[in-house]
Amino acid sequence: MYTQALLFLPLIGFGLSAILMGTARRHQAILKTVALIGFLAIAAAAALAGPEAGSLLQGPTLFGSPLIFGLTDLSWYFVLMVSGITLLTVFFSIGALRDSGSYPMYYAWLFAKVFGMFGVVLARDLLSFFIMWEIMSWATYFVMQQGREEARTAALGYLVYAIVAGMVLLGGVIMLRQSTGSFDFDVISKAIKGYDLATTVVALVLILVPMLIESAVYPVHGWLPDSYASTETSITAYLSSISTRIGVYGVVFFVFVIFGVKVVDSIGFSSHLNLRSILLVLAALTAVLPTYTALFQHDAKRLVTWHSIGQGGYMLLGLATASTLGTAGGLFHIFNHLTYVSLIVFSIAAVEYRTGTTNLNKLGGLITKQPVAFLGMLFGIIGLAGIPPMNGFVSKWFIYRSLILGGYPFIALAAFIATVGTIMSVYKLIHNMFLGQLPERYDNVKEVGFWMQVPILVLMAVVLVTGVCPGLILQWIAKIQTSLGVIPIAYTLGGVASSAGDLNMMVVTSVFGITFLVGALIFLIGGKRRIVSQYDNYAAGHFLSKDVPYNFNYHFYSAFEHIFNSLYQAEPVKTTERNLGRLVRITGDYIRRFFTGQINTYAAYYVAAIIVVLVVLKGVL
Amino acid sequence: MNSGLGLIVWIIAYPFVSFSLGVLLGGYGRKLTARIQRRVGPSWIQPFYDVVKLMSKKTNVSHGYMHDVAMMMLVGGTLLTMYFVPVPGFHYFSQFGDYIVIMYIMLVPPLGMALGVGQTANPNGSIGIARALQMLAGYEVTFVLTFIGFAMKAGTTSMYDLMMLQQSGGVATWGIVTNPLLGIAALFALQGMMNEKPFEVIVAPHEIATGPMTEMGGKYLGMMFIQHLINLVVELTIYMNLFLGGALNWFEYIVKLFTLFTLVLVVNAVYGRFRTDSALRFFWKLPLPMAALGVIFIMWNGK
Repeated sequence: MYTQALLFLPLIGFGLSAILMGTARRHQAILKTVALIGFLAIAAAAALAGPEAGSLLQGPTLFGSPLIFGLTDLSWYFVLMVSGITLLTVFFSIGALRDSGSYPMYYAWLFAKVFGMFGVVLARDLLSFFIMWEIMSWATYFVMQQGREEARTAALGYLVYAIVAGMVLLGGVIMLRQSTGSFDFDVISKAIKGYDLATTVVALVLILVPMLIESAVYPVHGWLPDSYASTETSITAYLSSISTRIGVYGVVFFVFVIFGVKVVDSIGFSSHLNLRSILLVLAALTAVLPTYTALFQHDAKRLVTWHSIGQGGYMLLGLATASTLGTAGGLFHIFNHLTYVSLIVFSIAAVEYRTGTTNLNKLGGLITKQPVAFLGMLFGIIGLAGIPPMNGFVSKWFIYRSLILGGYPFIALAAFIATVGTIMSVYKLIHNMFLGQLPERYDNVKEVGFWMQVPILVLMAVVLVTGVCPGLILQWIAKIQTSLGVIPIAYTLGGVASSAGDLNMMVVTSVFGITFLVGALIFLIGGKRRIVSQYDNYAAGHFLSKDVPYNFNYHFYSAFEHIFNSLYQAEPVKTTERNLGRLVRITGDYIRRFFTGQINTYAAYYVAAIIVVLVVLKGVL
Repeated sequence: MNSGLGLIVWIIAYPFVSFSLGVLLGGYGRKLTARIQRRVGPSWIQPFYDVVKLMSKKTNVSHGYMHDVAMMMLVGGTLLTMYFVPVPGFHYFSQFGDYIVIMYIMLVPPLGMALGVGQTANPNGSIGIARALQMLAGYEVTFVLTFIGFAMKAGTTSMYDLMMLQQSGGVATWGIVTNPLLGIAALFALQGMMNEKPFEVIVAPHEIATGPMTEMGGKYLGMMFIQHLINLVVELTIYMNLFLGGALNWFEYIVKLFTLFTLVLVVNAVYGRFRTDSALRFFWKLPLPMAALGVIFIMWNGK
């Protein structure tokens, strides 16, 4: 009942808001109300749908087999995340979209996107999965276009990748259907166990590659930064938090449920050199390289989108270990990343709303002007960097522990190197936006309003609470692990119990609370303090005034730039992409020569074509 | 001693014990450096006088609330780390968090300091923080790799278990004897962790004023001093627990602590300062490959 609602409510919402798009310019409130009610209803349905896990729904019949949908433990986890973050995005956008007239289809495409994502995670046969996958890809493309002019160009970049992914997936669907005679997941899953090696490899590659493209794994990540960073900022938060993770859902679903870890492991030379170890290496590369690319970004949104790729690497790292702790870490990290990355982008959006820019070289000192946005950013970056007590730490701890004890020392090192890069770039983010000198032009900046503060405050609470009591989320993850055929994690409310040593975040946090109070006590023992102006500062004997910038934000990590600049310029994926683009342009230039725009030339083509056809026909006849 | 009344006494007394040890270490450090440079040097408990003086200053300049909270995070985070690092007779908290936890809570004080320094709006401070974060990619990465190798070999990430494992067979089972490559690489990293020369580009007196400390005065500097002294003990203890077999009694502990610190100090006394990129290149050329080699040996022997 609620599962049906999950599929029908977004469709109704899409229809309504598409019909009402004409009201966007004059009566913004109508569309915003429809969206708010719609997504509240979807969130309610998602929350209530849990007990229906296991039951199946039959849809219309296509190609002789019915489309089947149904809820599983894994898909409920994703359904909850999708509906929750969409609701928060809608809350935020109600405050953030000042002239909705520029975004008449904003909410309509959001409904379509939710429909596509729900469809993908609810699909219980291959055909519905493929159809929903395509709907989701197209909806993503349209959602991405919300924004300034460059958003449209950048979205095309996504479209190219999405079409390639769709085609490859179609190949996989056709192949599996031909060899098993069914779209049904159970039938396919059983048939795969009997495949020979070559068929398994082809099937697995055809299915996995689209999922890896969607989850922006190195080296097929090139579409993400441009397209995510150019859209409207609330959409950036939405896309980087959940959209990319549907690809991770695909990886989990196909590797663990359909193919099975044993089949994946059997492809390769030994237990240490097989497809799974290739996935581990790809995941490690995904964690490290984009993180260090983020370091050199000058735009806040772009910096975060690069991290969004890098954090996907952590999820895959955990999942690819296929161990209890690793899969728990990977699955938990999806949730954690969703919360802190959207928190960070919402804070960026709050700053952009007041200052009109996300350029890290122009902002600064906003901490006193926008304290809520600052706190949101602070909680978010502590989560992203994985420092206790925020939730990002717990999942990273699982992943480290599983990599170290699983015998992957250098992969664990790569994960840590990525963490160092994350800490560096998030400090640059918060420092260049909120700390340092406040430029004079931002003297009158104010905090954002209610609708934009609510998502920030809610997410701050979630990031902290699930970090202190990870057991709240781990109870779902243990269920998912059981359904995936992995030994479920022995969770406690504060973390995990294990023979190799426990983790109890509640103890860690309460000890920190007490030691922090001790610090506060020492602070109070000292004399009374006096708050001074930012211009009352050490400047080696010079006098500071409002017209002299006295700040450090250009080339923040100069030593790294010094060492890595040449490497960064010659990044292989970027170079390949640039060369491919050049090839397409040159080919296009040649093809364009045939289209002169003059009717005489086209008439000549017709005559030539008819002559060719006649000659060929004569030859055949 | 890890239950009941004894535990409570430990929890309350340990910060004071640790601070006193830090004062002695700090005083010893200044005295030793002075003697190497043929000076008389200050009193043995000079750091204590410094802290008392700074905490009782009447002028305390703040740049805002984050600046204040940063000081609490700085001291709070260091005390937190201190509780989780096992010392003779007190390892209650190591059952709730292993070395991975310690590694990350050790990042809380620098984060607090970074945020506070950021609000002081002094570019010298920001430059110091940027340097500190870049240096993490040098020494912290090296140190973590040595830990990863060691933990993988032992099959546990708990610091207490690692320590007890080394205690099982005397000197022959100390980490630095069983895994000399890891131990020596970590020694280089320790020099960086403690910000001693040649890796003191973060504070770099005279070059960027005093980096993060530029806008700190009065009780702010005093709290940074307190944190620094406790941190001395914590960092040396971590190395000791991982590679020198830890300690089962306080005599052993203090002997090892001072010996290790002497090693760090004599290097500090005779070296100049590396630029950030030179320091990073040094770490990536010598200690990091050394640690990697050590880990490869472990993997080789494991099969």
